[in-house]
Amino acid sequence: MKEFAESRLATGAGELWDLGIHAEFLDAVRDGSLPEDVFNRWLVQDYFFVRSFAAFASLTVAKTPRPGQSVLIAGLSALDQELDWFEAHARTRSLDLNCELHPACQRYGDFLIAAGYSEPFQVLLAIFYGVEVAYAVAWGGLEAQGPYAEFINRWTHADFQAYVRTILRLADQHPHPRQQARFNEVMRHEQDFWCMAWEG
Amino acid sequence: MTAGPLHVTLWRRNRALADGCLAHPFVRGLGDGSLDPEDFKHYVAQDAFFLRAYFSAYALAAVRVVERSSVVRRLHSLMRGVLDELKLHEGFAESLAIDLENIRPHRGARAYTDFLLRTAWTAEVGEIMAAMTPCMRLYAYLGQELAVGDLSQNPYQEWIETYSSEDFEALAAELESLLDLLAHNTRGVSFAYRYAIRCELDFFSASLTEGS
Repeated sequence: MKEFAESRLATGAGELWDLGIHAEFLDAVRDGSLPEDVFNRWLVQDYFFVRSFAAFASLTVAKTPRPGQSVLIAGLSALDQELDWFEAHARTRSLDLNCELHPACQRYGDFLIAAGYSEPFQVLLAIFYGVEVAYAVAWGGLEAQGPYAEFINRWTHADFQAYVRTILRLADQHPHPRQQARFNEVMRHEQDFWCMAWEG
Repeated sequence: MTAGPLHVTLWRRNRALADGCLAHPFVRGLGDGSLDPEDFKHYVAQDAFFLRAYFSAYALAAVRVVERSSVVRRLHSLMRGVLDELKLHEGFAESLAIDLENIRPHRGARAYTDFLLRTAWTAEVGEIMAAMTPCMRLYAYLGQELAVGDLSQNPYQEWIETYSSEDFEALAAELESLLDLLAHNTRGVSFAYRYAIRCELDFFSASLTEGS
């Protein structure tokens, strides 16, 4: 995890990096005190988020030259499986996947799709990295135990971290003056997203 | 309930939000001239950032209907209207020493342009019109509501006169007419219209709280 915190984009983000990866929500997951309804609310919004992120990933794949595409295509395939997995959980937990998007989720999705169409691939790689690394580091600080062990386990897996590392290398190989500013925006959206789940 | 043109239905349905904008301290400050000039300066830069995205959204809408040349021509004339509005901003920028080339958008402006551009790139043309109409109708409404009494001592006279003008009302009505032509009263259209007015309200708030 140290390599992620010490990466050029994370250090460049300053305090936004810390705000993007730490949240009261995660503290409550860690000590098992998070109420189930709060977790369920977050799960539904995260499902909506992943749908937008999959669309963003498709746009990034389309713009990125080979051989960089390979890891992104693998990521896209993993996102598709993630959506299946969310849908299965929604069924067992009787969650409504047709409910309204929370404004924080709407804004995050709009940001990704608008950038996906408008920005060059170098900038998209920084955004892609930002989304994935925030997830890997935020969940990576937790031990797989308690009522949410299955979820923690899923997002702290060594394969996931190796995948994020590959995207970091790709973003570093293709620098662009707007990478940092857009990475910072990802961290702001991450912070808002955690707050949304916690505050309702 | 939905009798009459679509633009009337949507405006009526969202009238409370429009009145929320009229009652907003930023707008009240424009109306009575008490708005802090620094807040206005900041707002002009953010609005210029917004208008560039708004212009792009018209262009992306025009691409969707490229085979309907009469509609494309009408969109082009609305795009000229945006360029004229940007000229007004350039005038403000010159007199207030605002750098329009290096604008860092506040979160209200970014959320609005992200929504607008996502819609413009991905939605069908009716939804794009629905996302774009509130901006024009709301500003015409605000301008006309504020243009009462003697404005000669109001430092924001030019702003109020621009948005209360017959020319601006004609542009707003033209966009509404395109909305009626190209959109149906679907969930997506209704959402886009409402969300855009919410973005307007948030934009005014961000202009006060996220000052330069």
